[in-house]
Amino acid sequence: MSSWKSLLLRIGDKCPEYGTSSDFKEHIETCFGALRRELEHSGADILQFLLQCAEQLPHKISLYGTVIGLINLENEEFVKKLVEKTYTNFQDALDSGNFNSIRILMRLMTVMMCSKVLQPGSLVVVFETLLSSAATTVDEEKGNPSWQPCADFYITCILSCLPWGGAELVEQAPEEIERVMVGIEAYLSIRRPTSDTGLSFFEKDDETERSPGDKDFLEDLWDRVQVLSSNGWKVDSVPRPHLSFEAQLVAGKSHEFGPINCPNSPNPPSEPSGIAYDRQKHEAELKYPQRIRRLNIFPPSKIQDLQPIDRFVVEEYLLDVLLFFNGCRKECASFMVGLPVPFRYEYLMAETIFSQLLMLPHPPFKPIYYTLVIIDLCKALPGAFPAVVAGAVRTLFDKIADLDMECRTRLILWFSHHLSNFQFIWPWEEWAYVLDLPKWAPQRVFVQEVLEREVRLSYWDKVKQSIENAPGLEELLPPKGGPNFSFGAEDGEEKTEHVLSGELNNMVKGRAPVREIISWIDENVLPNNGLEVTLGVVVQTLLNIGSKSFTHLIIVLERYGQVFAKVCPDQDKQVMLIAEVSSFWKSNTQMTAIAIDRMMGYRLVSNLAIVRWVFSTENIDQFHISDRPWEILRNAISKTYNRISDLRKEILSLKRNISSAEEAAKESKAELDAAESKLSLVDGEPVVGENPVRLNRLRSHAEKAKEEVVSLRESLEAKEALLARAIDENEELFISLYRNFSNVLMERLDEAFGARTLRELKSAHADIMAVDSEEPSAMELDNENGKSQNSQSNGGKTGNAYNVDEKKQWCITTLGYVKAFSRQYASEIWPHIERLDAEVFTEDTPPLLREAVYSGLRRAIN
Amino acid sequence: MASLFKDPAKLSAYRDRRFPGSQEEFEHALQTSATAYVGNMSFYTTEEQVYELFSRAGEIKKIIMGLDKNSKTPCGFCFVVYYSREDTEDAVKYISGTILDDRPIRVDFDWGFLEGRQWGRGRSGGQVRDEYRTDYDPGRGGYGKLVQKELEAQRQLVDYGAGSLGSFPPVMPHSYGRHGGGHGHGGSHRQGRDYYRKRQRDDDRHAHEPSKRTSDHESRRNSDHDSRPEKNPRFRESGDSDDDEDEDRKRRS
Repeated sequence: MSSWKSLLLRIGDKCPEYGTSSDFKEHIETCFGALRRELEHSGADILQFLLQCAEQLPHKISLYGTVIGLINLENEEFVKKLVEKTYTNFQDALDSGNFNSIRILMRLMTVMMCSKVLQPGSLVVVFETLLSSAATTVDEEKGNPSWQPCADFYITCILSCLPWGGAELVEQAPEEIERVMVGIEAYLSIRRPTSDTGLSFFEKDDETERSPGDKDFLEDLWDRVQVLSSNGWKVDSVPRPHLSFEAQLVAGKSHEFGPINCPNSPNPPSEPSGIAYDRQKHEAELKYPQRIRRLNIFPPSKIQDLQPIDRFVVEEYLLDVLLFFNGCRKECASFMVGLPVPFRYEYLMAETIFSQLLMLPHPPFKPIYYTLVIIDLCKALPGAFPAVVAGAVRTLFDKIADLDMECRTRLILWFSHHLSNFQFIWPWEEWAYVLDLPKWAPQRVFVQEVLEREVRLSYWDKVKQSIENAPGLEELLPPKGGPNFSFGAEDGEEKTEHVLSGELNNMVKGRAPVREIISWIDENVLPNNGLEVTLGVVVQTLLNIGSKSFTHLIIVLERYGQVFAKVCPDQDKQVMLIAEVSSFWKSNTQMTAIAIDRMMGYRLVSNLAIVRWVFSTENIDQFHISDRPWEILRNAISKTYNRISDLRKEILSLKRNISSAEEAAKESKAELDAAESKLSLVDGEPVVGENPVRLNRLRSHAEKAKEEVVSLRESLEAKEALLARAIDENEELFISLYRNFSNVLMERLDEAFGARTLRELKSAHADIMAVDSEEPSAMELDNENGKSQNSQSNGGKTGNAYNVDEKKQWCITTLGYVKAFSRQYASEIWPHIERLDAEVFTEDTPPLLREAVYSGLRRAIN
Repeated sequence: MASLFKDPAKLSAYRDRRFPGSQEEFEHALQTSATAYVGNMSFYTTEEQVYELFSRAGEIKKIIMGLDKNSKTPCGFCFVVYYSREDTEDAVKYISGTILDDRPIRVDFDWGFLEGRQWGRGRSGGQVRDEYRTDYDPGRGGYGKLVQKELEAQRQLVDYGAGSLGSFPPVMPHSYGRHGGGHGHGGSHRQGRDYYRKRQRDDDRHAHEPSKRTSDHESRRNSDHDSRPEKNPRFRESGDSDDDEDEDRKRRS
């Protein structure tokens, strides 16, 4: 990398490029010096790279702003181009709804304004344009209030600029900025506050009501900015390097920024409320997602010595590093720990990362990314971060009964994986008391599921060893999960099933072809023994042959799939097949889940059969005490969804290929036509020679290109048919899923307590939590490796009981999963909502079920 | 995303010489394939452990364990095939360098599995890296194959009384003493299903494959191999690093 590049890239970092200096002013001077020499030769490169750095390292954007300001003194033309490029990028970002670009380019404009590169008035015009677009959007007559997420986003962007340039704006354009602030205040008064129903980490006692103190994200940011303004716009977390160069910078010529256009929001639905409105709002929320939902894990004393706006700025920094350094472990960790702020922020960092890991409906990246980041930060800050992480785990564990089901699942996956990277060390004795809780107590289930996942990542004895400080917890370990073959050599060899199983086993070992096995079943087994025995023998024996590993299983399913299909041709039999799998692998949840998942992959069982099996009595009884049935259900739904999304991707790329193939076909046709017409011009003059050859070549070219288009169109049609089928399957899946939920809940909700509202259902539950939350959460920074113990909390826990009774817990857990599934697949459920309303969510639907579904879909309840 | 520090299109320097095509084709294969190569695994890690970890990056289609071509037992690498390229990228980004079975594993793009690639390419049947290692790595069968042979030779010397302790060559790493000797381990195999199932698999899956290529030469080496110091599967103290594997992958080519 040429030196000016690495200087630009590394500006502000402690790094060899800048020697021993950690002074921003020196960095800027050095960097500017290097750039100045190169502007002449590599201006275009510099422009591009500088913008790239500013966009991808936004926590250093003030340094880049100052560098641009200094260049402006030397080479106005270059900076003019840079401003123009920023302008086109910004307009493109607005048009395409690229929210990260919009946000960061506005920050860049702000720091350019601070360095006298951009006229304050130009920036204010940008603000006003966004503001007026936002105000129009939420206007019920002229706009489309369902598109408010976009409007809120624009306002958030304006407010987000103020930590970087509020002071300068107030000084240089006091009236204009005042006008903007008044406008924002007016906007806040006409918009509807955003409810976080369905998206909050913790179940609140009354989700539907909003107390006056509750602020949504935008209102909260507004408050933070108000405090900032009353503090004279001083922000510790934002470096202001331009101040050191103020005397020079004032001489610069400020450039203008052209007028921008905000795209119009889509046309509003014909009715201002109802399904169409909610559906559109859901789309808007997907397109302009709220970036962060704060997760308050730590007591305020750990964080609140910051100014309110500093919290916001640091969160922005952290989220941007996570966004842009996804995939660059080293840089990600070092930027995370080395933000340009003069205070410590481990607690805030942990809260921010956990808030992303648990974010609903989806985190921006796969949860495993945050697992990696937490691992790397524990290594980068071995003295501080592990204890902070441990503290977060303890707090979340204390509140686990209130934690959203989806978050619980993610927490289990994360925690087990995290521990597997740190020798499975955890002070389990702190949690040994869960053994005294009923088997449905959420804390107990959590421990049990973490141990289950640890065993999967490692092996039984290892995990057993890791809990030796709390040997009693062994009770919660999964069984040492071998297969459970009914026709093993030891027991009852004389029985018919054993004999048949032996025969089948020999046929497989002797590599008998599938048709031979099928006719053996048809002729010798089915007629004499009936379906049940046949199914048991065939399924158990084949599973046993495939029991040694995942690959063995796949080979058996690939080779003998037709045998399974022969014995289990319809849904009833498939349900029996799944039950047989589950009994064969009853001591090994992972293999059960894998086997069922693969069978669905080979279409030996349908997703509907899986749903039916999940709602069989045996499983229903486990809903509140184990993740096992839920894992299998999750897999079935996600596999159905993956099929759809893969097909959509393929179709998209086919369409792209078709249009380029059409282009090519058109070109070769044109070339051919041109050649042909050339020939006809010299008609009469028989110029045979090179032309016929060329003509033939062109003809075959054109022919081939045409064929290519045709064949692509054919595969597109095929894929579209597949997609249509997959979407139908998905529709049936959700109809069946909700029907089943409705059936089981109807019985149990009524029978248990006839509760009408979640609040009633949870009243007992809430009392428990109130007792719980009075206890101090366990956090001590002194011990390393997360081994710190908190005897206080430990002692406080021993007498703890969990008194939500089993039936209530069953309902709470099941409703939690209803919400989680509805939320995760909301986009796939919305298209079928009319049918669901007509067929499933009728007047008889228990109100609590309706509430869970609606909040998952973020649909208005009335 | 992070195009500033790391070019996402840039691939590791490893070049598989057995790839049947040009450099461009090789690179194209790496850039589009949905297969990941996983290295520096313990010999004792099972497919199910791999499945649990790697399914966190996406839906898995296949896992192919790398096997010692003589003993037909896992020899410390595998291929994970996903349904989608994106998931493969995430596995490479997020799993490489993290711990599986107490070892930092290495995850890299692979050009795609073909029958035959599951076998170790080292002379002794395992991976090339395990030929030359001089450290004691209990998760990968103790010392490297060459060192094991040396040790074997020395044991013979001692047995026949033809040598003395003073004649031990310097290949004996100091860690030898720390771990209580290379031979004599063997009692502490992983217990439970994994071990049981793994042995079973090896017996079953490859029993029907006649060892047609077993020459005199090889069977002699096999007997060496059999009498080598026993693996100590659960001596978990591994200092093996990524870079080591990096080197090895290059050498393996």
